Amino acid sequence: MKLVIDEIRCKGCNLCVLVCPYRIFQEGTELNDRGIVTPVLDRPERCTNCRLQPLYGRLLCGVCQMICPDQAITWVDERPFEPHKVEVEF
Amino acid sequence: MSTTEWRREDRLPHIYCSGCGNGTVINCTLAAVDEMGWKREETVFLSGIGCSSRAPGYINTDSLHTTHGRALAFATGVKLARPDLHVVVFTGDGDLAAIGGNHFIHACRRNLDVTVVCMNNQIYGMTGGQGSPTTPPGAISTTTPYGSSEPAFDLTELAIAAGANYVARWTSYHVKELTKAIVEGLQTPGLAFIEVRTQCPTNYGRSNKMREVSDMIEYLRSHAMLVPKYNRLIAEGKPIPEGTFTVGELIRRNRPAMGVRP
Ligand SMILES: Cc1ncc(C[n+]2csc(CCOP(=O)(O)OP(=O)(O)O)c2C)c(N)n1
Ligand code: SF4
Ligand code: SF4
Ligand code: SF4
Ligand SMILES: [Mg+2]
Repeated sequence: MKLVIDEIRCKGCNLCVLVCPYRIFQEGTELNDRGIVTPVLDRPERCTNCRLQPLYGRLLCGVCQMICPDQAITWVDERPFEPHKVEVEF
Repeated sequence: MSTTEWRREDRLPHIYCSGCGNGTVINCTLAAVDEMGWKREETVFLSGIGCSSRAPGYINTDSLHTTHGRALAFATGVKLARPDLHVVVFTGDGDLAAIGGNHFIHACRRNLDVTVVCMNNQIYGMTGGQGSPTTPPGAISTTTPYGSSEPAFDLTELAIAAGANYVARWTSYHVKELTKAIVEGLQTPGLAFIEVRTQCPTNYGRSNKMREVSDMIEYLRSHAMLVPKYNRLIAEGKPIPEGTFTVGELIRRNRPAMGVRP
């Protein structure tokens, strides 16, 4: 699974930055086409849901998606699945 | 199903300001109805007027966006005509406690079988930041430019005193707990009232020294106290910090209810 921010919906509130336990969302610095500074993703393959959703068959963690007031955070299937070397620091 | 199927994707992005908590409350409510496994054709969302009350417009079911303060009056009509429907009401602090105050207490008294989700941002968001019955003492609003000098309503105590079967409070920061509380509310026959303390960065935060959305979230996080902890401090006679509000389940009981699904 791959984590994506919908650039059309995101309003740049950075609530996702506040809640992700892995700090995958980082405050952005550049305006997009709509004049909004959307967060940038730091090694999103570390996300619990990206790694384990296929194994468990349900949404895991998902706190960023839940709090995102603009329904801008989703996961898309990767086809073909690209294995990532993931380092998770606890 | 998933929450995506409960949304009117063609209406998004919604009109709410950046960082407004209302969008989060919609997410949690839809996750809760989805968890219930309800059918879209058997679920109706109602609301009054306000930013919060625009929520049903983004949901893919039949809905009623009614007049200011009157969502519960319309909900009473829907429930008595069609008790087989599941009814969820979205409302704001102004909508529910100011102009709609009487509908609120009487819906609780009748214990109408609906779930009421109140997005309490302690302000009239939509009309430019006038003080509401939940604006806390000292808060600056356009109608209280020197700080509010009135005590505020505790909406949950109002609902409990008036007779609601289930009452809980959470915030737009506590997304998992809030979703669980809404599920509990949806499962309870009779009136379930869930107050969600939420952020209005535009019309509340900016005039009350919380410039950033993160300041408002930090306020909600740090001032929320779990009910058992609150009760323990009270029992021990310990002081409760200024501005603290309780979160969690506040009452669950089994008074006779009106309009319960046959
Ligand atoms: C009968 C009537 N009186 C006044 C208004 C103006 N009005 C629109 S929204 C609103 C207050 C909304 O406050 P709240 O319910 O807290 O919603 P919020 O925007 O904060 O979510 C008022 C007074 C109206 N639309 N109708
Ligand atoms: S699902 Fe959890 S771990 Fe994954 S990006 Fe969102 S908050 Fe971070
Ligand atoms: S929480 Fe949603 S709207 Fe806010 S910055 Fe993150 S992706 Fe964008
Ligand atoms: S005015 Fe306040 S309540 Fe209304 S959309 Fe903006 S932030 Fe939300
Ligand atoms: Mg309000």
